[in-house]
Amino acid sequence: MASKFGLAGGIPERRVRPIWDAVDSRQYKAALKLCTALLAKHPTSPYALALKALILERMGKPDEALSVSLNAKELLYSDNIFHFDDLTLSTLQIVFQRLDRLDLATSCYEYACTKYPSNLELMMGLFNCYVREYSYVKQQQTALKMYKTVGEERFLLWAVCSIQLQVHFSSGGVKLLALAEALLKKHINSHSLHEPEALSLYVSILEQQEKYDAALEVLSGDLGSLLGREEDKLRLQGRLLTQASSYPAASEIYQKVLESCPDDWESFLHYIGCLLEHDVNLPKPSTGEHTCPSCSVDSALSNKTSLSKELVESRLTSALSFVQSLQENNSSDCVRGPHLANIEIERQRCLNGNPDNIKLMEALVKYLHRFGHLSCSASDVEIYLHMLSNNEISELLGEITRSFDASSISANTLGSTITLFKVQELLGTLFTKSTSELQGIAKRMVDTFYKNLPLSNDLDPQESMYGEELLSMASSILVQLYWRTRDLGYLLEAILILEFGLTVRKYVWQYKITLVHLYSYLGALPLAHKWYTTLEVKNILLESVLHHILPQMLNSPFLQHAADLVKDYLKFMDDHLKESADLTCLAYRHRTYSKVIEFVQFKDRLHRSMQYISVKSDSVMLHLKQKADSLDEVESILESVSHGTKLVELSNEDSMKDLTFNEDLDARPWWTPTSSVNLLSEPFDESSTPASYRAKMCKHISNEKDGSKLKDVERKSLVPRLVYLSTHGCASFLRESESNGVSSDVTASGEMKTLLEKYARSIGYSFDDALSVVLGISSGKKAVKDFAPDIVSWMSFAVFINAWNLCSNVSVIPGTDQSSQNSWWIVDNLVKTCIDEQLTDTNQMLTSPGSNTPLLAWMVTEPISWHLLVIQSCMRSMAPQGKKKKKGGPSERPNTPHLQAIRSSVQCMADTLQRVQKCLSDQMKPEDQALDILVSHLQGTSAEGPGQITRVLDESAAAASSEIGGRIAHSLEPWSCACVMRRIVGAENETIAELRKICTSKLKLLASASASLSLVLH
Amino acid sequence: MTTIRRFCCDDLLRFASVNLDHLTETFNMSFYMTYLARWPDYFHAAVNPGGRVMGYIMGKVEGQGESWHGHVTAVSVASEFRRQKLAKKLMNLLEEISDKMDKAYFVDLFVRASNMPAIRMYEKLGYVVYRRVLRYYSGEEDGLDMRKALSQDVEKKSIIPLKRPITPDELEYD
Repeated sequence: MASKFGLAGGIPERRVRPIWDAVDSRQYKAALKLCTALLAKHPTSPYALALKALILERMGKPDEALSVSLNAKELLYSDNIFHFDDLTLSTLQIVFQRLDRLDLATSCYEYACTKYPSNLELMMGLFNCYVREYSYVKQQQTALKMYKTVGEERFLLWAVCSIQLQVHFSSGGVKLLALAEALLKKHINSHSLHEPEALSLYVSILEQQEKYDAALEVLSGDLGSLLGREEDKLRLQGRLLTQASSYPAASEIYQKVLESCPDDWESFLHYIGCLLEHDVNLPKPSTGEHTCPSCSVDSALSNKTSLSKELVESRLTSALSFVQSLQENNSSDCVRGPHLANIEIERQRCLNGNPDNIKLMEALVKYLHRFGHLSCSASDVEIYLHMLSNNEISELLGEITRSFDASSISANTLGSTITLFKVQELLGTLFTKSTSELQGIAKRMVDTFYKNLPLSNDLDPQESMYGEELLSMASSILVQLYWRTRDLGYLLEAILILEFGLTVRKYVWQYKITLVHLYSYLGALPLAHKWYTTLEVKNILLESVLHHILPQMLNSPFLQHAADLVKDYLKFMDDHLKESADLTCLAYRHRTYSKVIEFVQFKDRLHRSMQYISVKSDSVMLHLKQKADSLDEVESILESVSHGTKLVELSNEDSMKDLTFNEDLDARPWWTPTSSVNLLSEPFDESSTPASYRAKMCKHISNEKDGSKLKDVERKSLVPRLVYLSTHGCASFLRESESNGVSSDVTASGEMKTLLEKYARSIGYSFDDALSVVLGISSGKKAVKDFAPDIVSWMSFAVFINAWNLCSNVSVIPGTDQSSQNSWWIVDNLVKTCIDEQLTDTNQMLTSPGSNTPLLAWMVTEPISWHLLVIQSCMRSMAPQGKKKKKGGPSERPNTPHLQAIRSSVQCMADTLQRVQKCLSDQMKPEDQALDILVSHLQGTSAEGPGQITRVLDESAAAASSEIGGRIAHSLEPWSCACVMRRIVGAENETIAELRKICTSKLKLLASASASLSLVLH
Repeated sequence: MTTIRRFCCDDLLRFASVNLDHLTETFNMSFYMTYLARWPDYFHAAVNPGGRVMGYIMGKVEGQGESWHGHVTAVSVASEFRRQKLAKKLMNLLEEISDKMDKAYFVDLFVRASNMPAIRMYEKLGYVVYRRVLRYYSGEEDGLDMRKALSQDVEKKSIIPLKRPITPDELEYD
């Protein structure tokens, strides 16, 4: 703030400095005191008032801050003001921005700029206001005005950026590009350009208008020297030439790039693309959304060249010799590009008329021979592996096996062994192996890891160790065995292996993420959550990594943990979206024009994040779930979110369009490629071939976008509003009917109908069909199982239907009249049927992963909670009148039939929850007994079946001090498989206990409801 | 094969495999974006053929007169892509930009005094310990200020080690 003291809004600097010092050191009370004193002396100083507003805002008094800052604004607008400076305005701006009133800040600057039209400082302030409001047209006008006033290059470029943003964010702005070009040309003619970023912007304006030749001309002229690095200039020229279809010239340019940067893979692909006169499909990093390596090959297949076969051959041959010369000049192992290029050239041969090319295989073999010891070599060649036939795959595996001596212990041998396994994993060939073969492979991986531990003894404990991937792969094979055999022992061993790995070195995040998923599946959520917490996910990683834990937590009984995750995430997103424009201002100020555009686009991307939209609803839902036993608290939550209306708006078609998916799915285990898919819950597919397995994965990943997730988000966004209307509508109905006998809340009823229609659509049904499903299930005519995936949504739907029926004029249930109590009965039966179905199905949670405990938790915390809120609301609305009408007997009350229906509903919910409680109690076993059960799954003694790995791990840990020694042996001292099993038992019991706690509290509520109903009715 | 290019905002959503490493800090957004806005040439990502982020380097250029220098704020490589000199390539790029484009006198960096693997790597790249900064990391661990002279500093004056350790408040820059 020091720079501001020179002006100080007409107040002596020495009086202002202590105030800012106090603010900067967060001594707000002291600051306020000083400021009050200042105001006593300068009561009409807008600057002093702005300071006071700023302090009040920091003290958490937004209303007072707003009123003081509005006073300051008024004073500024009055004619007799002498000190009208940027300091006052920028202080006010800070306050208005923090109060979320950007419009007020903008109008202050607009006024100031009209009053002092040629004050550059004020205009810059106004420009920043428009940047914060994303008003591109006004930005452009203001920047041009500044440019006209002082003629500086930067202001012209600010205007050009503003034009580019208009073009990017609206469809009709293309003509503006011509204007931008003309403005730049004129400026260049008289003043030239002086910044590399300015040149890039100019080139991109030309490029966007497809004026490639003009752009190339600019680059080859004097201005071209602005680009500091020759390679950057060449790459840009290459891109422009390619777009201008000047392929020969472009390929020459790319050759030059490759000569100086032989490892630049993107340039190599462009080079090949130009030789063959087509664009090679590149994975587009700029979109950053879900991509799948094996899909990119398929899409490139369709992109064939129009050249003749002979021409292709001759060009590829010349490419090959160029690449070979690059290989000779760069013999170091660090430059793998030219070697991989060999494979790509052979792939192009296959794609362009030579499908039986054996040289592709040769090239692959050669590459793996040379680089197979590197841990990324398998993923380097991943896309090429997918082109091989089954025979070729076995041949390749044979070649890799023969390429090294597996018996020796060295980092290189270990690397090659891992590559061999990884290639099989990537190709999915392990699926075709028998159970005993797979078990053997997993065991071998664990053995190899253990035997090679001495290699890592000298590494720093924080450094990643040799062979860590082996444990991930072994664990993954065991999951596959579990899927195939449903033998719990395999799943437990998959966990044990990773826990063992984390005992050796506690930092391996890949193990932790897999454990998060395995423990979630097993029903041991506290352990999943614990490992997730150790990852210390924060800031932008929340957007890309949260998906590993959040979906499981949302529907679990651990409402507080889920709420904390949601809170951290929303805070990060909200804060960033607020501050993002300030960073754009910074990019303008530092003349980094490319980043101006990028920042605005990135903000837009985060703003349209699917996860962000979804979590906004989750956050409200979680609050409601946490406080569902108190209608008052629920009402105040709903009040704070405008009764759910804003969330409903979130799900309107416009905001659901073009959502972005920013989750990084790479690290997810193969069996749950997205959060909405869990292969382990599906039957094992015997006929799975590597190819079909691959296709399936790709489908899951690409389905993510339009799949059920969108519908879920839409549905969730309706719930808080429906809860509000339900509790509100039925309350007002009952209250009025208590006094008049008939009534209805027409608006609430109409809105509910619209929302329920939307809700039904999100489950995939029309409203009428949905209603008949609900009726069918509750009357036993339809089976719950047939609606299983959305069963919780169906239950909530029934709850809302009942509430709607209560506040409607006529019955909404076909074939009944409004006064009948059918709708209560429907909810009761449906809830009972659905819950009972889960209870009869409940295996021991301990031994049946994927059990329905989470589903029970979901049912209790959502539909049942919502229904209890409806009951609470009905009872509250009738209670006061009940007291007034003490004299009348129950039979005189118009609401008696309703009260009776409520009473039987209360009874039904209580009975149902008691059955849930009972079932949960049965699940809770004494720790030692539960431990014995789990361990019994790991005690197989035969050659087949789980148990072997458990023994290997325990024996290894025991022998480590003599066989491995050093710090690694030391770290393994506390290891025991039984300890891990004990933790699992503990975590599962904790989950059950948490759900029981929720049920107990609801039962208490129901008991008190029942007691008051008895009083009223008898 | 690696494509090294300017780091862009979208990379922030794809660098999880680099940043989940326990030694790599995930800074707040304004930190990354301030670097992008002010020193876009000092922030580079290395991506593999599948478009995955293998690692990145972020840095800045600052100082006056003979202490005009490049600074490495963070350099990190995902575990899958380690042991193939990727960090070296990224460091060399930053050194080249500091040297050729910005005519800086030296490049410096701070490293935890206990982080021996990193210190050894920087030494291999030609960095020397210029001075020790007492309790630089969260007021607990000492930091080492390591430097490498560039071509402007013909006599390599910038890297003559200081005799005594300094405290964080004696640092010229944050």
